[in-house]
Amino acid sequence: MASIDVNAGPQPNDAVSVFEHHRSELRRQRLGMNILFIGAFLLALGLSIWVSRFYPDRLAAGLPRIFEYFGTIMPNLQFDLLFEGRGADGRAVPGSLTFWYSDFNVYIRLIVETIFMALTATILGATAAFLLCFPASRNLAPNSFIYIVSRRFMEICRGVPEILYALVFVFAIGIGPLAGVLAIAIHSAGALGKLFSEVNENASMRPVEGIRGVGGNWFEEIRYGVVPQVMPNFVSYTLLRFEINVRASSIVGFVGAGGIGAELNRVISLYSDDRVVAVLLLVVITVTLIDLLSEQMRTHFIGRENLQ
Amino acid sequence: MLAIKNLTKSFKTRNAVDNISLDIPDGQMVGVIGRSGAGKSTLLRMINRLAEPTGGSIIFDGRDVTALKGRELLEWRANCAMVFQQFNLVGRLNVLTNVLTGRLYHHGLIASMFQVFTPAERAFAIRALDRLGMAHTALQQADTLSGGQMQRVAIARALAQEPKIVLADEPIASLDPMNAKVVMDALRTINREDGIAVICNLHTLDTARNYCDRVIGLFEGRVVFDGPPSALTEQAAREIYGAEADEAFSESMTSTTLKPAGTEVPAERLTEADLQQRARAELLAG
Repeated sequence: MASIDVNAGPQPNDAVSVFEHHRSELRRQRLGMNILFIGAFLLALGLSIWVSRFYPDRLAAGLPRIFEYFGTIMPNLQFDLLFEGRGADGRAVPGSLTFWYSDFNVYIRLIVETIFMALTATILGATAAFLLCFPASRNLAPNSFIYIVSRRFMEICRGVPEILYALVFVFAIGIGPLAGVLAIAIHSAGALGKLFSEVNENASMRPVEGIRGVGGNWFEEIRYGVVPQVMPNFVSYTLLRFEINVRASSIVGFVGAGGIGAELNRVISLYSDDRVVAVLLLVVITVTLIDLLSEQMRTHFIGRENLQ
Repeated sequence: MLAIKNLTKSFKTRNAVDNISLDIPDGQMVGVIGRSGAGKSTLLRMINRLAEPTGGSIIFDGRDVTALKGRELLEWRANCAMVFQQFNLVGRLNVLTNVLTGRLYHHGLIASMFQVFTPAERAFAIRALDRLGMAHTALQQADTLSGGQMQRVAIARALAQEPKIVLADEPIASLDPMNAKVVMDALRTINREDGIAVICNLHTLDTARNYCDRVIGLFEGRVVFDGPPSALTEQAAREIYGAEADEAFSESMTSTTLKPAGTEVPAERLTEADLQQRARAELLAG
């Protein structure tokens, strides 16, 4: 091999000059694409500002009114009366916590109902997603027809917002938590099914081939080759979905599908007083607690994975 | 007896396996050698029907394997065990369950789905593991094992199938020399004691020489050598590996086997057990 002469200068078919030519061409292409993307982004931003009329003067006029509303719904607590109980006549003293949260027992019953709705919907949705996700994975689907059908079905499930499903079910089966549970379960099945099938598509196919090699059928390939690999991820996604479903089930009550949402809707539209903040505060505390709890459980699962 | 007739596998531009015909009697240990891309893997995978042939037929005991469908195909795969280069175990299941998957064909769907195995099956699996010296790992998760141990578990899984023939696709290509010897010894023991035919893809000539009754050489999808190891001359090896006439060809260059005891053993090939033994001997000697 001849030593490399740095001062030799470019030669027409030299590897370096071919590479440099190729590189500059690639950079030119990239630059063009980048300018195109930035232009498209700015256009979309301008359009959305125009459509939503997000103008500074409107914002300036609207903001004080937001605070005004919060002013009307803030509880009128008095420090010296804060822990005052009910009087001899059974009436709570205005300015005390008891007066503010006079419907506390109702709220708690509804919060518990909301959490159980989310739990049931998550279990139903995750089960459906588990059954759907294998035929909806490109690497596992027995044929393209089943693959396309299960994919489209999951898209319909998650494409429609929970609140719309809830509305339909309230008409179909009546007011109450069942309508909300079904609505959230259907949406969860679609959303989780997509996440599950993406996990499946990243699974190693070697165990699957091993099971196929011993004469296992499709179900056995899934059960032994795929499920053990993907289960920790499935559990983690399901817990995340449970958090989302607690939020969702406190909303579906607005259309009569059970949970704390019905009460929130009632106090906002009928009273607009300190009861709104009373309910909101409970919802926020509940959601935060559930988030913290399931976060703990999720890291427990993932942590166990990393230890191995 | 396995009879392969005019077997062909075509891809768009070339034939991976080109019109191969072979007869493999029961109980024979066959080594298939050739360059990578010569069609060794494709040949084996077609026998097990993990790959579909584009032409020709495979007859086992008078039955055309290439025409099988549905449950009959699964039965054939259960009878024709496959050992893979990358072991293809289920890493997150324990060793025993991995071996028990060898019984899946004989199971009802419900029992399979709930991982229900009978005590008799468990005993059978444990004995299979014990034959390979792996019974003590039965309850360990499979992905905690070393490569050599995994391949032994994979062979135990093949044994649990009670196969009529065993195919091994480069079973030692991912293993160190010590484990390669253990695995090849195990395959040969199964071949000798159970009288099962073993067809084994190998990438080293000397392994084929040492272990096989018959060596088949493939070059670009065709059989260019078929005979006992003693007939495998350097000239034949050159043809199989497509080495140019003036190119140096040394069999020892592809060799991964250990030298027999007594000759020098490179230090890095000692196992931990050897080191412990040596340390103990030194202590005893004072």
